[in-house]
Formats: sequence, structure tokens, C-alpha cells
Amino acid sequence: MPIVIAPQNQPLTIIKIAADDKTKKHLESLGITANGDVTVLNSSGGSVVCKIKDGRVALDSNLSAKIFVRL
Amino acid sequence: MKRFALAGNPNSGKTTLFNSLTGSTAHVGNWPGVTVDKRDGVYKKCAEPIAIVDLPGIYSLSPYTPEEVIARNYVLDEKPDCVINIVDATNLERNLYLTTQILEIDVPMVIALNMMDAVKKNGDKIDAKELEKRLGVPVVSISALKEQGLTELMDKAYNESKKQRQGATVLQESKLTHLISDVKTALVGQNVANPLFHAVKLVEGDEIEVNMHKETLGVVEAFKKTFDDEVFGNDFEALIADGRYKYISKHFAPVLKRGTKEKFAQTKSDKADRVLTHKIWGIPIFLLILFAIFHLTFSEDFLFLGAIFKLPELADIPAFVTVADGEETLTYGARWLQCIYDGGVMSPGVIINNIWNNMIVGELFGLIQGAVENSSMQPWAIGLINNGIIDGVGSVLSFLPPILVLFLFFSILEDSGYMARIAFILDRMFRRFGLSGRAFMPMIMGFGCSVPAMINTRTLADDKERTATIRVIPFFSCGAKLPILTAVAGAMAGAFGVGNADLITFSMYVLGIVVAILSVLLMRSTTLKGETPPFIMELPTYHAPQFKNLMLHLWDKTKHFVKKAFTIILASTIVIWVLTHFSFSWQFLDDEFINESILANIAKLVQPLFTPLGFGRQLGEFGWVFVVAAVSGLIAKENVIGTFSTLASCLAAGGHINVDGLDIMAENGIDAVRAMIMANPAIIGATLVAFIAFNMTTIPCFAAVGTAKAELGSKKRFNYTLLFWIAVSYAVGAMIYTIGAWLWTCFIWAAAVVGVITFIVLRNKKLAKKESTATL
Repeated sequence: MPIVIAPQNQPLTIIKIAADDKTKKHLESLGITANGDVTVLNSSGGSVVCKIKDGRVALDSNLSAKIFVRL
Repeated sequence: MKRFALAGNPNSGKTTLFNSLTGSTAHVGNWPGVTVDKRDGVYKKCAEPIAIVDLPGIYSLSPYTPEEVIARNYVLDEKPDCVINIVDATNLERNLYLTTQILEIDVPMVIALNMMDAVKKNGDKIDAKELEKRLGVPVVSISALKEQGLTELMDKAYNESKKQRQGATVLQESKLTHLISDVKTALVGQNVANPLFHAVKLVEGDEIEVNMHKETLGVVEAFKKTFDDEVFGNDFEALIADGRYKYISKHFAPVLKRGTKEKFAQTKSDKADRVLTHKIWGIPIFLLILFAIFHLTFSEDFLFLGAIFKLPELADIPAFVTVADGEETLTYGARWLQCIYDGGVMSPGVIINNIWNNMIVGELFGLIQGAVENSSMQPWAIGLINNGIIDGVGSVLSFLPPILVLFLFFSILEDSGYMARIAFILDRMFRRFGLSGRAFMPMIMGFGCSVPAMINTRTLADDKERTATIRVIPFFSCGAKLPILTAVAGAMAGAFGVGNADLITFSMYVLGIVVAILSVLLMRSTTLKGETPPFIMELPTYHAPQFKNLMLHLWDKTKHFVKKAFTIILASTIVIWVLTHFSFSWQFLDDEFINESILANIAKLVQPLFTPLGFGRQLGEFGWVFVVAAVSGLIAKENVIGTFSTLASCLAAGGHINVDGLDIMAENGIDAVRAMIMANPAIIGATLVAFIAFNMTTIPCFAAVGTAKAELGSKKRFNYTLLFWIAVSYAVGAMIYTIGAWLWTCFIWAAAVVGVITFIVLRNKKLAKKESTATL
């Protein structure tokens, strides 16, 4: 499922990032990689704040519809 | 001299470390992207002096934004003697991702493990010795802020810089390790420096790398065709990223021992964010904070106590009034009291402002002017010093307090970490106008000064978004434009008895923002069309603002402001005084004949151009003062009010205008403008609002224009930008004046706006149709 509708405060695994190359690369350097772990802290109105490793990263609604995760 | 480079993730404390090492006062803030250019300093406490280079923060060596390119190129091309890699210990795994990439370059390196105190506070522990063993490069625990461990760090780095280090990779366990070593061998054959690093980047398909090593690319392409991974397919770049993180969490992460077992415990920052980034309350809270800042800085009726309790003014209380020569004046004690209370309690910003202006600067300059007046100098010298220099520079200096107070509040927002949240909550709104919330950072910096704001647009990844942002940054009224706003607004409130001066000031700020938003919308749907770039931003942990940082920010601002007042502004006021006191035949003119001066004649020639804006032909005899003021603003925006004060002072001395009961220099130049208003019935409220709006949105000062030219890159884009500024300011000024003067003209303007919108929409539809048929 896209990360926008994923449950909050639960460990998730990223399956796929359907963004363009440049964005994907930037996400990877922030720790958002396929196969990586992520936790959603707050998803309001489509945009998402998630916990990646020990950092907090904010993503806009367009992008968070393109990141797919599973429980 | 040896050179050490500071590299690390954004907001990991590089600039704090840089300041501690070199004794500099570079700008520090709690948000990613404060530093956008490299910066040099010298560290002197080692065996020999060492040049320290502070680089912009990077998440990886594959750059995403222009400022990241600077950091990558420095490490690769300038070959520093040692790289000090700063690692934020509170986010170890993510920070080590960059470390594993620097490790691949053949450069000596040392890890500075920063923010270890925060790790301890969380109840966690990091075994630095163990990490050093596993990484194979020295690791030193430091606190950049408290200046702990710096000597040890520099000694280790100095030691390392004498050695050679071969690049090493953590990708040995990856499926691509053979391909990497094949490519590396090929690159070694071509005598490429840092072969391992380039080999890995080439396999990743990094854009810069692919262009650099086209001939070796074949090896990678051939391998790619035969390769298939069940998760990643043949996406090598994702595979390598995954390989790095896997290695990090397997080999490096175990050095971190967590105190709490609870993996999903929410920190205080997370809890604060649930409120401050709330989807409904986020924006109202932000607006409330912004209003509070303006209220604390500018309000003469703090918390509206005066209005609520109907408090009396000091002049109405007999105990504070003395009568001398039939005139009622306040006692000296009461004048001090007036700084704090006058029919309402003053806000802290106004109190500081009043004490500075009424009791210190006003008195001091008054004394000097009195002494000059009574001296045996030539009349022209007295005029130059009193009317030209002191009134001009003094009126500008009087603005120091409000600028500093406003800046202090912005520094607190910045240092606490709230700034990054504002960008996030505004992103949703900005998106509709074709900008990402990231563009908000440089814009709010524009409230301070356009120059650093324009440079900061380097944090924007999209070129068109960057151009649009640079163009509208001047509309976010900077500190130097504040004098124009408060002086004209104050004069309006005084002369026409309209409303509240701080309300006018606040609404002019809002006007600037609205014009900025509309222009972005216009540009993004015409010349700078493109998709809104994604918003990806790290939210730093909140912390209490550092007193030392705040004071450094304020000190920097003060230095800059005072320096400018006594250089550029001083020189401009002298030039303007001279040009208004000589005729074309270089004959000295008394204040009475100022209308025949060189400047007056030139300005009168240009003046008709400003007729639609209200300060052209209709102002008659002395209308040229407005034109001169506006043009002198091109040098520095403080000049607008400086010029006003100088010229009003001369006009008053020449008996052209009446300044009864007014003090040209006092009260932030308000009275200078007021005297001009009283002298000329053609000046109406709309003239003044149009004048402010024109100055706010027109071509910014030389410094900002130069920065825009450098940042925009192409000459054509720069010329269009100049044209854009002129067109916007003229249109906005004309619209305000004509509607203000003749309300019915609003229908003409409305029709024109609707016409433009319809034209753009229809044109875009046509273009979209053409495109879709072209692709069919």
C-alpha cells in the first residue's frame, strides 16, 4: 500500500519507490530505500512525517503516494 | 598550509565546529541547508596553522541540489589533506551512509562523532573505539557546541594528513562487487584518480560520472543486460544503496547500545510535532506566532491594554506636564516614562526603540547639531553637516532597534528548529502556486536581507523553481525596506488620522507576500512552466535556542547595518546634498533655490513617468523629492528615508515647507515625510501607499541585483528579471494609486486582470492540445 494510508507507529518495510531517478536517489541517501524499514509518525492530509533510522523526514502528498510499503 | 575539509550531513553541526575551530562567527541555524557555499578559516592550535574549509551539508556524494555539487567537487577535485567527516551520533546509521562513500575516495579521513551529549541524554551509548576498529579510520567523540574533544580531533587529523589512505568499500558482500572491481581495473588503466570511488559511482549510473567516463560505461551496460535480482531487477543504484545500508546495520550499528528497549517510543519532539504540524491547526498556530512577533516588535498598545481599559495619555495627566512660555511640555521624567507608557503599554520592541531614539540618539544628535549651528563654520558647511549628513544618516540609524528586535525573533524561530516545520506545513499551500515548501526558507530569509536569501535558493533542486523564487525574494520586504514602511506608515497615521501605524506596516508586508504569490503563479503558468518539485525535508529535533548563537546573529546584523550607515548611506547623503546645492553651472545654491539644482532638474525630467503612480506631474513643485528618494533606493534601500530626511531638512531650512512642531530626524523619519505631506495637498493616502509598494517591489538594491545576476546564471534570464521587477512595481503602484484616487477605476483593473487570466488559460489549453496531438 502507499505510505499515505499506512498505519501510524508500526514498523513497515518499503517495497517500491515509484519516483523519478533523481528523487529516488535523494530518498535513498536519506535512508528511504526499497527493503528498508520505516515508521509513520504522522500522516495528515496526504503529507507524511516518517521516522527513518533515527531521523524524521517530511514528504509531500504526491511523493508519499509513490512510496509503497508493507507491514 | 595544510587544508582540512569539514564534510557531513546537513544540520550535523559542521558550521558550529567550524566556528569553534577558527573563532569565526558564521551563521548557524537548526535546519538543513543553512550553509550553501564553502567557507574558509584557519585553525592555529596545531603544530602548524591549518586551513579549515566548511562545506555545505550533503546526504551523499551523488548531488541532488546545486549546493551539494559544491561539496562533492571540493572533496574530489581540490584534494584536501584530510577530510573531517562529522557524524551526528543521534542518527548514526543514516550519517554513516555518507561516510561509506567518502571511505571510497583515496583521501585521509577522520570521523568526528558529534552530539554525543544528546546520545547520553537519551540513555544510549556509542562505543567510539569499536566503531574506529570497524571503520578503519580514527573516530573522535566531540561536542562542537561545548568545544569538547576538538584538540584531540585536530591532532588525529593532523597525524592522518601525513599518511596516505587507499579507498576502501563496504560493498564487498554485494552481488556487484566483481563488476565494481572490473570497472576499477579499467579506470586504473586510464590513470583516473580515486578509481574505486568513480567505479562505484559509474556502476550506480550517476549522471556526472556517466558523462565523464563514457568509454568505460560499456562494461557496466553489458553486465546490466545479463543481471537480474529478484527485488531490485537491474536497478544497480538501488542495489548499491541497499548494500551500504545492510552493511551499516550489520557491522556498524551494533556499536550503538540503546538504553530503552521501547523501539517506538515518541520523543518530546515527536509530541510537539503532533500539534505544530497538525493538518488543521498548523497554519493558524504559525500565523498566531507571526502576529505575536509583529505585535511584540511594533505595537504601541501591548496586549491592547490601553484600548481595553481606556487608559489616559501622559499629556492628559497634569502631574507630568510643565508649562513654560505658555507651552505645555512633558517633564524630563515623564519623557522617560513615555518610552514605556503613553495611553497604552508599549511592546518590548517599541520600548527599546523609544529609549534609543528619543533619549539617546535624538538627544545626542540634537547636541551635535546645536554645536554645529552655533559654531563659526561657513553656512554651507553647517547645512551639509546638519541637514545633509546628520539628518540623513541619523534617520537611518534610528531604525537599528526594530530591525534587531524583529531579527531576534526570527533567529529564535530558526534556532529552535520550528523553521523546518513551517516549510512543511506551508508546502501544501505553496504547492497550489507551483512551488514546494522548500522555497519558503529562502523567502523568509528575505525578510532579513535579499542577498543571503537569493544564495540560499541553491537548496532548491529544480531550476525553474529557483528562478521564480529569486525573482520574488525582494517582495519579502527586507530589513532595509522596513524604514520606508514605518516612516511612511507613521506619517500617514499622523497626517490623515487614519488607523494604526503598525497595522499599515503589517498590511504592507502582507501586500508584498500577496504580490509574490501572484507573480509566482503567473510565472509558473507562463514562462516558467513545470511540475512542482517534490518536498523532501528532514525535520531536526527541537532544542532551546542557544544564547550564544542568538547574540552572534544580532552582532552580525548590527555590524553590517552600522557599517552600511557610515559608508554607503553616508556617501549617498553627501552626494545628494551636493547635487541639490549646485546648479548646472556649478554655482553654489542656498536652500531657498534648491529647485534649480542639478538633481531637481534631472528628477523633474523623469517625474512625469510616475504620474500614474501618484508621485509624478500632479505633485508640482517639490514632487521630484519622491523620484530622487526612489532612485537613491537602488544603491541601498535605507537611502529612501535618508534622502527624504536630507531633502525635507533642506526644504525646511529654505523656508519652502513648514515644520512647526515636527522634528525632521526624530521618530524614525516619520516627521520628515509628514512635513512633505503637509506642504503638498496633492499627496493623498493612495500616493503614499503606491510609493511604498513601488519601492518594495521594484529593482532591489545593487547588492541584491548583483547576487541575482550571479545566481541566475544566464544573462537573458537576468535581463528578464530586471524587466519583471520594473513591470511589477509599476503595475502594482499604478493600480494602488488609481484605485485609491478614483474608486471606479477598479473595474478597469478588474477587466484587465480577467483579460490576462483568460488569455493565459486559453493559450495554455491550446499549447496542451498541440502537445497531445504531437505525441499521438
